[in-house]
Amino acid sequence: MTRRTRLSRRAQHGRIAVDLRAALGLCGALLRYLSLAFLFPAVVAVYYREPFWPFLVAAAATAVSGLALQRLGREASGVGVREGYLVVALTWLLAAVYGAIPFMLSGNPQLDRPVDAFFESMSGFSATGATILSNVETVDQSMLMWRQFTNWVGGMGIIVLALAVLPRLRVGGRQLFESELPGPEVGQLAERIRSTARRLWLLYVGMTVVMIVTLALLGFVGIDHRMGLFEAISIAFTTMSTGGFMPENRSLEGFAAASQWVTLVFMLVAGVNFALTYRAVVRRQPRRVLRDEELRIYLLLLTLASVALVTQLWLAGIERGEAAVRHGVFQVVSTMTTTGLASVDFAGWPILALTLLVFLIFIGGSAGSTSGGIKVIRHLLLAKFLHREVRQTLHPEEVLPIRLNGVPVEERTLRAVISFVLIYLGIFAIGVAVITVDSTIQGPPTSLHDAIATAAGMLSCLGTGLGLAGPMESFARYSDISTTTMAGMMWLGRLEVIPVVLLLSRNYWRV
Amino acid sequence: MRVFVIGAGQVGTTIVESLQGEHDLTVLDIDPTRLTPLAYRYDVATVEGNGASRRVLADAGVRDADLVIACTSRDEANLVAGTFARIEAPRTTTVIRTSNVEYIDLWREGRLDVDFVVCSELETANAIVRVIGVSAAVQTDVFADGQVQIVEYDVTERSSSTVVGMPLREARIPGDSRVASIIRGKEMIIPRGGDIVHAGDRIVVIGSPQAAQAWGELLAPGEQEVTDVVVYGGGAIGTVIARQLLAQRIGVRVIEPSRERARVVAEDLPDVRVYNTTGLDADFIERERIGQAQAAVFAMGDDTKNHYAATLARARGVSFTIAIAHEPVSNAVFELSGIDVTVNPRQVTAAEIVRFAHDPRTQQVALIEGDRFEVLDITTSPASEYVGLRFREMPIRGALIGAIVRDGRALFPRSDDVLQAGDRVIVFTETEKVSQVEKVL
Repeated sequence: MTRRTRLSRRAQHGRIAVDLRAALGLCGALLRYLSLAFLFPAVVAVYYREPFWPFLVAAAATAVSGLALQRLGREASGVGVREGYLVVALTWLLAAVYGAIPFMLSGNPQLDRPVDAFFESMSGFSATGATILSNVETVDQSMLMWRQFTNWVGGMGIIVLALAVLPRLRVGGRQLFESELPGPEVGQLAERIRSTARRLWLLYVGMTVVMIVTLALLGFVGIDHRMGLFEAISIAFTTMSTGGFMPENRSLEGFAAASQWVTLVFMLVAGVNFALTYRAVVRRQPRRVLRDEELRIYLLLLTLASVALVTQLWLAGIERGEAAVRHGVFQVVSTMTTTGLASVDFAGWPILALTLLVFLIFIGGSAGSTSGGIKVIRHLLLAKFLHREVRQTLHPEEVLPIRLNGVPVEERTLRAVISFVLIYLGIFAIGVAVITVDSTIQGPPTSLHDAIATAAGMLSCLGTGLGLAGPMESFARYSDISTTTMAGMMWLGRLEVIPVVLLLSRNYWRV
Repeated sequence: MRVFVIGAGQVGTTIVESLQGEHDLTVLDIDPTRLTPLAYRYDVATVEGNGASRRVLADAGVRDADLVIACTSRDEANLVAGTFARIEAPRTTTVIRTSNVEYIDLWREGRLDVDFVVCSELETANAIVRVIGVSAAVQTDVFADGQVQIVEYDVTERSSSTVVGMPLREARIPGDSRVASIIRGKEMIIPRGGDIVHAGDRIVVIGSPQAAQAWGELLAPGEQEVTDVVVYGGGAIGTVIARQLLAQRIGVRVIEPSRERARVVAEDLPDVRVYNTTGLDADFIERERIGQAQAAVFAMGDDTKNHYAATLARARGVSFTIAIAHEPVSNAVFELSGIDVTVNPRQVTAAEIVRFAHDPRTQQVALIEGDRFEVLDITTSPASEYVGLRFREMPIRGALIGAIVRDGRALFPRSDDVLQAGDRVIVFTETEKVSQVEKVL
């Protein structure tokens, strides 16, 4: 088809400036490959002698839809900057929709309503870890492993994975990559986006394997008698992706202290920019990595919050000794990296301790990690920006470039950071309002404090709330309006708001 | 010596002026209007043509030259001319002028096939930074790896009476130094013990760096160490000046009216405070306490702007102003308005290049008071009639030996010391007498 005829067709279709067919075509291709993901839980189902057909049906549905979309669309060469945002937003939405099929077919009354299944699936792919299940232990093992697996796949990113393994997907790579990988600045590891994506995934897989082996060993030598291979894999999947799903009702509470410590360390690493971890581990430049400003602030904030929380727990007499340190640090790291695992039921902790945790939700992990939230780097840049504004009142003519690791940051990046934070807070406020109003009308009664914690938890992909939806509870009692809103916030949060918000603007669609 | 000068702009003209007496010059330029005045004024050969063309260079006889100087205002043309000259005449010394510090680095790494690279910006910045380093100095230059310093001072009413107003033999002159010259209006004296320095004179001192510092304190008492310098203009020269000052741990503030340029300077030099403004409005000057700066450098591209800004800064209380003059006529204007030091980048560059045309024994040359005087660093030949004489026995011929370097160490001679063959001597002399001095030594 020549360019001229394409333009005239666009004119007929109300002058849409986005090449819809190219975008849909690419989405179809991605979806087709996603269908392979269902094979993993199917194998688990066979192993546990559970019905495996829900996964095969889902795989077939996904593959067929993918092919249909590919047919409908054109080949991927037309994907530019504009289409990229649509591809990212749509792919994640479709992944959650198709990922919900096994849940709908599971026959478990907690899951088989489409709204609930979608919530669970979105929570999985966005690595949020909020669950609709009030009793996890009645669900099939294969279904539980599917939940963990969605966490793991979503953690590093569907598109980053596709870029890493699919040979043909090279078009618009950088832009797709950047809108999926969190944070304003992601360190590049190679000249080609594809090799960068590949290295990130290899590191991710490598660290997951190390964690599985470590945990399994703890179980094998008898330190943690509850830890089997199934549990080790589940915990590693959800930890490295900073997700938060657990195939248990009471999160990590029942596991040994050693397992909790191991999980804590891996959570800490998962919250660090993977590019930095790659440099430290693979290129062996730990010193250069330790000079990174974001990493330093990340570790500093974690330390300060940990000291504050441990002191509180100790003084209030809730925990003592090693347990106080472990539970304090675990909850701080879990919250700040937006993992959402719990080593203990902290719902009953003093309000001051809980408020501290809510603050940490708003900080989030590092850019280029699997964690969510506003991210340390944005807070850092925002702090530098505000500091400059104050100085500028006295010296209006002075030119003060803001530097990060000694390198000047472009003013455009700063504007993007500020806009991001404002949009983020706006969506958060809307979320709080919806949850509060909806819970007043349809129940369950939710205090403003709990609504704030829940909305922040959804948007930052943390996954635990307070009160009704505390660390050991579920979101089963919330109405469909609330859970759908929450699922939407997870979607927004995982893609860092902008690609989705952009789709809502008229400018995006028009010339 | 046969010298081939490519480019007859300001730098080229200055070079021709200082070399034409003693050397055979060929001047090449693409613009005949620049060549005509040179041909009328001096006894030099002129060739019209493109210096970056190998054929033009060959036709003009570059093969017979001993020294080729490429000093047009275009870096690339100079580079190409220097390269072609090297191909046509492999044994010739080639000197090229550049305004790009990167080329200097490249040359230092040995990747440019020319003998010397002279950078206007760097030379200008060095000249300015040296002046700021020594208080009360008008101009200064260093010899023998910094062991010997030549400084030109203005003597004022505030200057200490231990050196001013009395015969030099009675004055308490700082050790390891001597007054090489007293300049009083148009008159120049090479002083002897009975001469007197008066307020309003300008004197040239040769001595150790410590002595130069001591002289500065005697002539301008009460001036503290410089910690705050304001540089107007963040262009190429301004940036290099700021960088050199920072290297001396002097705090720098740069004023740059262009937004983009100001941003570039601020990004390149994190330790410099950069203001994006013309720096001329009263409110700004008051708010940022520009008047409290110990020195201000005016390095903008336009002489009139430098002139106005410098005068304004003086009016606002800046005690030491240094301005860059791009046009030769501006020197006089700046001096008349009370600007303390005027630096002409092209003259500085020319002076730097002229060094290469001197006797091969001559290591370094400095020009003082425009090109009225030169300071030479020259090694004595065993055949010299001065070797073996005591200093007080030497007949004065409009020249003075300020220091000698023997076995790599600087000595400041007393009247009973004897000059030895192989000594490097630092000689102060009038420009017309340079070849005579080179001959007798």
